[in-house]
Amino acid sequence: MIGRRRFAASALAAALLTAAPSLAAPATIPVRVRVIKGSRRGPPAIDPKLADLRGQLGKLAYVRWDQVGEHNAQMDFGKPVTWPLPDGASLELTLVESRKETVTFDVRVAARRTHSRLTISKDQRIVHQVADEKDGEAYFATVRPWP
Amino acid sequence: MTACLRFAPMIGARPGELTDDELGALSEHLAACDACQARLADEKALSGMLAEALVTEANRRDFSTFSDEVLARIPAYSGEAAAALNVAGGRPARQGVLAPLLSWVRHHRLAATISALAPTLAAALLVLYLGQGSSPEPASIIVSAEGRGAMVLETSDGPVVLLGDPEPEGS
Repeated sequence: MIGRRRFAASALAAALLTAAPSLAAPATIPVRVRVIKGSRRGPPAIDPKLADLRGQLGKLAYVRWDQVGEHNAQMDFGKPVTWPLPDGASLELTLVESRKETVTFDVRVAARRTHSRLTISKDQRIVHQVADEKDGEAYFATVRPWP
Repeated sequence: MTACLRFAPMIGARPGELTDDELGALSEHLAACDACQARLADEKALSGMLAEALVTEANRRDFSTFSDEVLARIPAYSGEAAAALNVAGGRPARQGVLAPLLSWVRHHRLAATISALAPTLAAALLVLYLGQGSSPEPASIIVSAEGRGAMVLETSDGPVVLLGDPEPEGS
């Protein structure tokens, strides 16, 4: 026979287990940043390391894609992290906000005078141009939370 | 005739109703009395007709629900019987499993109700929680590019931000 107290305790435990993931907000978020180069010339090819970006890169006019850098960081909220870009500029990334399944980033490239605030879901990636196109080539940065 | 008045009621007697002495006296009287022999013949004919009529009448009735109707007339037994007995065969149906459970439910209605609702509520909350998680909030995209245009391609995999050509100095 099921006692009432035991039943109530079980129900409370189930409710807490259900609600716990939504109540506990992570203090930091792992983020993977890759710097990639797109070229309009050359045989069409996508670096195998960029296979997960094929859906986004395939929509652009660049036909050849290579990864030229990768950084992984455990980002704190509100603390910008800076990485150098191949053209000497720097990419500044700030973790602004995180909700259940979404996260908001600030992407800033001071040399390009660009500043973007982008909210994406957990399984999405940001592809952001970080350098002007030159000789048919341009640099991009991709940002993926919880890689 | 006096003897006929004595023995006539015995003619329709059922087996066991008469003593051995009465049976002996009745046999002796029947052997000598034509009138009582005629009565006996009528009685046998009537009994046969009556039995046949009763059997015919009984066959016309449907007794398949007889046991249920009888049990339903017993207040303390009607609820349990309906649940525990197989209606068609009148045999116990899963009595070993259901009877204790039904008994517990009957005596702990509140706990049974909560027990039934709790998993449903938990499932609803889980569906609600997962439903919120599986439908990402609308993407919020703000792009500021001084002195140049910018274009955003929104894809299912995420946004793609393209910078426009910088405007010439002094324009």
